[in-house]
Formats: sequence, structure tokens, C-alpha cells
Amino acid sequence: MQTLKPSLLLTGYFWLIVAYMIFPVVIVIPVSFASSEFLRFPPEDFGVRWYRAYFTDPIWIAATITSFRVAVLSTLISTTCGTLAGLAISRSPQRMQSPLTYAATVPIVIPHIFIALGVFILALRMNLTDSEIALAFAHAAVAMPFVVLITSAAIRQIDPTIERAARVLGAGPVRAFRVATLPPLIPAIVAAAIFAFFVSFDELIIAQFLMKGSETLPMRIWADLRLDISPVVAAVSGLLIVVTTIAMACAEILRRRAVATLAP
Amino acid sequence: MKMRPILWLFLPAALLLAAFIVLPSFDLFRASVFDPEFSTKHFQRLFERGVYLDVMWRTIRVSLAVAVLCTVIGYPVAFFINLQPRRRQTILLFLILIPMWMSILIRTYAWIVVLGRDGLVNEALAALGFTTEPVQMLFTSGAVLAAMVQILLPIQILTCYAAMTEIDLDLIRAARVLGARPRQALARVFLPLSLDGTLTGLVIIFMLSMGFFITPALLGGRQDRMIANLIEFQVQRLNWSFAAALGVVLLVLTVAMIVLLRAGGRMLARRILKGGL
Repeated sequence: MQTLKPSLLLTGYFWLIVAYMIFPVVIVIPVSFASSEFLRFPPEDFGVRWYRAYFTDPIWIAATITSFRVAVLSTLISTTCGTLAGLAISRSPQRMQSPLTYAATVPIVIPHIFIALGVFILALRMNLTDSEIALAFAHAAVAMPFVVLITSAAIRQIDPTIERAARVLGAGPVRAFRVATLPPLIPAIVAAAIFAFFVSFDELIIAQFLMKGSETLPMRIWADLRLDISPVVAAVSGLLIVVTTIAMACAEILRRRAVATLAP
Repeated sequence: MKMRPILWLFLPAALLLAAFIVLPSFDLFRASVFDPEFSTKHFQRLFERGVYLDVMWRTIRVSLAVAVLCTVIGYPVAFFINLQPRRRQTILLFLILIPMWMSILIRTYAWIVVLGRDGLVNEALAALGFTTEPVQMLFTSGAVLAAMVQILLPIQILTCYAAMTEIDLDLIRAARVLGARPRQALARVFLPLSLDGTLTGLVIIFMLSMGFFITPALLGGRQDRMIANLIEFQVQRLNWSFAAALGVVLLVLTVAMIVLLRAGGRMLARRILKGGL
């Protein structure tokens, strides 16, 4: 059988576009190891000066910790709500599945700035501005659609008869779920949690509107980029690029494994 | 009627969305017309001043340009991935997925490094002897466009790819066997079948572009501000009601344009299906 082969031109084009997508990001890493005062390429001298500046600056560290705290709380909320919703969707009758999925994923189609402004105006009236908990919940609402999509796809792959068998053998509904359905679902839930974590950790505009007193990491980066671009941003970006890449690769592998091994 | 027990599991999600998406949206609508008495003055101001109309028109124009560019650039990329053996497809998809999940703030910052006065492109141009003075690339519309396309391209590639995996490649082989030249087989068989998914991708990219905030603010000049930047500016000046009116306009414009794009796209698709290319 004749196979379809891409032409040399198409292959070249593909790698050109991959370079366009990845190169500007990768280039930040060598720049972050420059030891000069200003942003310059190629750097004249290499060193860890800006990484040291980041790790010894209490403002940057405080911002990182705030972001981390908000992201952890937000991940707990969105993963719990999203996984439960994913279960409800994939176990409900066929005709209800797509309306429920639409309802749960609606935040994806609304511009963040719109959500940010709405949450901010509401928080102003209820005196809830500057609350990390309110921010975590708002981030959770934005991240939940991703959790719902990932977990409901994985649940659909699980054979419900195993859970039914557990019920027949005398397990209660919660126990049957815990023994039969939950274990194969864990990789998908972990993958969803990683995605949800970074949705919150990277989110700027909702935090920018809601928080006045304390600062999240994206807010700190934003403030820095707006005033004068200090090379500390390059160091932070370098760290984030590496951490995000590793975390996302793990999440993607887990998600794929969840779908692949569960498939009949 | 009794609710199915399984649906109770949907309740936490529903509450979260109600409290942090639905309720704030209504409050935003309310704030845009009550200040504190009912009045449409904010919307009047929006449509009477040329500056604001300019920003709205520009937001639509830039979003359309980004959506079309992403589609034109991304479609062949997705096609290429689709032609690879299964295992290699997974690896190539990784190359697309990883930048997709990278923070937009970081990806925009990366463009400052590339396009800045002492950035990569300027240094390269000077080293090759093309220029003696740094070329101004930051704070231009071109910089905003290049970065927005780079940021959103992975999404369109994945959407196109998802649509293409549904297509049976045997159909192309069949067309070839029946005497179609490769180009014909692609244009008459493959392209029409992938059109619907591609159109969905185009609409998604358009929608995401409409709310873009970080990239125009950091890479563009005053002339590149979009609706989201205007909203932030008004919030900083404590004009919440006017900001709310802008938010409502942003949402309405986005929805209206999506309806238009879908209808227009369908019409185009039907013509292509009927008459070939």
C-alpha cells in the first residue's frame, strides 16, 4: 500500500514553525545567566548573579510564596469540584452529558478580563478585595473546565461494570467507587491538578484587580516589566520555563497513560 | 421529579461557577447601567468618542488577523503531524503542547528579549552588517502580531490536528487510485473534511484574541491598545462603571463576531464543498 509522505518542503516548514514557537522561549535561559547590568544578547559574561538577586530579594520571594499558597488552595478547590463534576457528567444519561459539559466549561469562552472585572466589582461591594481566599476561588473557577475535560474523558474509559461488580459483592456506593473506579483514575486527576495549579500560578489579571496589599508572582513580574526591565525577571522566567516544562511533560504523560491504559 | 443521585456530584462545581462566574457577570452588567441611578451614559460615551470606537475596531481587526494567520500557518503544521507514524506524532505533539502551557507573561517577556534594542534580532542584524543603528521593533503593531500568533498558534494546530485525525486517510488513497493528482486529492477530499474543525479553531483563536491584555500592553505602543487594556486603564482610574460598560461591549462584540464568523465560515465551506477549489 502506498503511504502518504510529507514533501521535503513541508518538513522544512514544520521545523521552521516549531522554531518560531519554541525559540523565543528557549533564548531566555542563556540570557538569564548573563552577569551584565542590562538585557543584552549575547551576554558578555555568564554567572548566576540574577538568580542570586532573585533568591535574596524578600519582595520576590514573598510574591512567589503568595502565588504558591493561592495556587495550592485553588488547585484543591478546582480539582475536587472538577473531578466530581466529571463523574457526574460521565455517569449521567447520554442526553444530559453535553449540556452539563457546556455548563461546566463555560469559563473557557469568557475573556479573563471580563471575569476579573466582574469578580472585582462584586468583591468591592462585599468588601472581599485583597483576600487570597477569594482569589483562589476565582482562579479555581477559571481552572475547573480543564479538570472537568481531562477527568471526564478518563472516566468514560473506565468500565462501569467493575464498580457494579463491587456493589454486587456487598460494597457500599462510596467504597465501590474507591476500590474500583478511583485507582485507575488517579493519573488523570494528578494531571488535571498540575494543569490547574499552573492556571492559577500564572494568572495575572484577576490577581491584579483583586489584590492591593499583597502581590502574586505574575503581579511582581508585571510591575517589573512595566517600570524598568530588571534582569531578575530573566532569572525568574528561566526558572519558570524549566519548572513548567517538566511539570507539563509529566502531566501530559500521565494524561496520555490514563487514556491509553484504560482504553478497552 | 427526583434528581438522579449522581447529579448531586455536579453541585460543588455549579456553586463555584455560580458564585465566581455567573454572579459577577450579572453584577458587571448591573454596574454598567447603574451608577448609582439607571443611566446609559457610559455606553453613550463609548459610542460618541472616536478614541473608544478606534480601540473597539482595532481589537476586532487584530483578533481577525491573528485568527486568520494562526489558521493559515497552523493548518500545514497539523497536516504534517498527521502524516507521521503514530509514535512520532506523540513526540511532535509534545513540541506543540509544552509552549502552549507556558505562561503568557513569560512568553511575552521572551519577545522583549528577542526584539529589544539590544535584543537578539538587532544584534544579529548588526553582526551581519545589515544595520548600524538598532531597529525599533518593540512597541510596534508588528511585534504584537508576531507574539500573539506565536502564543495562540499551538491551540489552532491542536484543533486542526484533532479534526484531521478523524479523517480516514484511505479516502485520499482512494481518490488517488481513482486518478486524482495528489494536490487534487487534498483539495477535493481532505480539505473539505477538515474544514469544520479548522473553522472551530479559527473561532476559538479569535475569541481568545479579543480579550488579550498582556501582549499589547508590553509589546505595543499607544496605538496598539485593545479593549482589555482600556478596561485596566479605567479600573486604575477608579472608573468602575465605565470599565464595566467596556466589559459588556467586549463580551457582546465577541459573541456577535463569533456568530458572524461561524455563519460566514459555513457559507464558504458549502461553496468549497460544491464547487471544489
